[in-house]
Amino acid sequence: MANIAEQRIKREFKEVVRSDEVAACNIKVELVNDTVTELRGEIGGPPDTAYEGGKFKLEINIPETYPFNPPQVKFVTKIWHPNISSVTGAICLDILKDQWAAAMTLRTVLLSLQALLAAAEPDDPQDAVVAQQYKDNNDIFQRTARHWTTAYAQGPTKDKELEDKIGNMKSMGFDEHKARVALSTKDWDVTKAAEYLIGQ
Amino acid sequence: MSGEVSRQMSHVSEGSAMGSDGNSSEDLDEDDYYMDNYDDLDLDCPSKADDPEYFEYEPLQVIDAERMLNEEIETLCTTLKVNPSTAKMLLFGHNWNKEEIIDNYQRDPQGFLIESNLASRRKPDRLVGAKPVCSVCCREVNPDRFLSVACGHMFCRECWDMHFQTQIQDGITTGIECMAKECSILVPEDFVYEILTQPKLRDKYSKFSFNDLIKSHPRLRFCPGIDCAVIIKAKECKAKKVECEACGAVYCFKCGLNYHAPTDCAVVKKWLTKCEDDSETANYISAHTKDCPRCHVCIEKNGGCNHMQCPSCKCDFCWMCLGDWNNHGSEYYECSRYKENPNIAHESMHVQAREALKKYLFYYGRWENHARSLQLEEITRENIQTRTQKKVMNNEGTWIDWQYLFHAVALLKKCRYTLQYTYPYAYYMDKGSRKELFEYQQSQLESEVENLSWKVERAEIVDRGELENQMDIAEKRRQTLLKDFLEV
Repeated sequence: MANIAEQRIKREFKEVVRSDEVAACNIKVELVNDTVTELRGEIGGPPDTAYEGGKFKLEINIPETYPFNPPQVKFVTKIWHPNISSVTGAICLDILKDQWAAAMTLRTVLLSLQALLAAAEPDDPQDAVVAQQYKDNNDIFQRTARHWTTAYAQGPTKDKELEDKIGNMKSMGFDEHKARVALSTKDWDVTKAAEYLIGQ
Repeated sequence: MSGEVSRQMSHVSEGSAMGSDGNSSEDLDEDDYYMDNYDDLDLDCPSKADDPEYFEYEPLQVIDAERMLNEEIETLCTTLKVNPSTAKMLLFGHNWNKEEIIDNYQRDPQGFLIESNLASRRKPDRLVGAKPVCSVCCREVNPDRFLSVACGHMFCRECWDMHFQTQIQDGITTGIECMAKECSILVPEDFVYEILTQPKLRDKYSKFSFNDLIKSHPRLRFCPGIDCAVIIKAKECKAKKVECEACGAVYCFKCGLNYHAPTDCAVVKKWLTKCEDDSETANYISAHTKDCPRCHVCIEKNGGCNHMQCPSCKCDFCWMCLGDWNNHGSEYYECSRYKENPNIAHESMHVQAREALKKYLFYYGRWENHARSLQLEEITRENIQTRTQKKVMNNEGTWIDWQYLFHAVALLKKCRYTLQYTYPYAYYMDKGSRKELFEYQQSQLESEVENLSWKVERAEIVDRGELENQMDIAEKRRQTLLKDFLEV
């Protein structure tokens, strides 16, 4: 069984790594060590979204029963998105669960993830806090997602106001990442974010 | 006395759907009490056409159920001239509605099969070269090893086999789909059996798919009793009471939860989830003992009856509302009615939340209390049994002479059970005249149940006629409420 998995991955590897695909779709897969069960992927944030310009790293685990069962994928790069946990990077995507088909490939998975970044599904959330913000306060959501892209995925856009607020929290003695999470959760209200962190 | 009772009855059923059955149902009711087993919760005689709880069903063994399904499949095969695999999938996918399937199929066979994910307009894959590559395992395979289902997506036999193995391990059988991306064409069982090699998995497949078929069949249900292998076959899929002969489980045919009339399946599910979430708070707030409203001596409730008499000052009060019991028999009996704060809309969020909790605790308290009373009444039954045994030994009447006591406890439990399940119903009811009517009938039932409970606990000193009269009244109240509010 593992034999099929290995053969498939090796072949897929050639498929995804082909240079024109990398250039066109902004996706990448690489080996972590000499086994094919652990892989590292990367997708570029799709243009005209809050994730534009960011590079998002993924951890891909290939089960022994691959391709009859889906690969296990999660975000290593922190990301603010309704269908991806801002804490663990776990992804809620149908093709990684019951909609998986054996004829799908890593390339389909990465392209689907890219499509998920472009079109979130807030009614099927992985991160309830983010999904709520996406629905109730989409402007703040977009700004927050863009800010996270810059902070964690080498995105290009700086948002001075938000960075100042984080600096403000840091000077109160809070850890930068915790401050960012709290501010993002509390729609960038410094007082509420500080209360939230103290209450934890 | 009984004349008075029936007058009261007709008053209750005014404006209800009860209609003209007054006399005949009374006779039949009386038959019930003497015909059934004493240890049986169910005193229904299932031939009553006007009984709101009447339900026709029969227990089947696995082998009988299998035969029944096969017969249905065969009928469809002969009518539509399709193979058994396809017939099975069609029935499974369309709620076993034969008429609808035949109609749709005869109108447009191809279209209907496509809609049912059993056919496709797609042209089958063309295999290229002497050794085409299977797109799942990426190996070069002889062309004769390639197979496809209705959609024509070609994969090698080994990959299909592996696909079936993984799916069956996950418990998927009738729902196995093609391996191609975004293809929902279903794999019929003859194809699975043709390819699946491992005998163990073939057994699993047949077992799981049988379970799938039973679960999908609207008129069949696995008995939810522990380790019970019985399958209940009903005439129609309704939220009615089923009592399993084999294991004794009593449940609702439609949802499989504990029987819950007059509440419907969705509401009772909502209520049970809510109770699970909130029970800690509720437990914390509702204590197990209460103080006598007059002399404040601490009283523990050790029987099912809510009509309490303080052992110290002898005052009679209601366990639920701590009010004077004398008011409970009259028109003013309002213990079961929750009084909403009329100004609630203008109050702050905080007050509203408190009010919501208060309302919930009111209903939960009564729900819990009746559940506990039911358990305590089981103890009453055991006590009666011991005492009866003694009496029979001392030649104070025969065993048969005392049977009426057991009928009384069984009926009491049945009435209290229904009463318990009126509380979730009332909790989710919208305010209005219908709720008022419901609460009126509920309070009538509650007061008669408590009267019965009081008399059952003191059965030795209560006259037999009086007790049987009370049984009749309580059951009538129950029936009236169900007739008006049990919607199935």
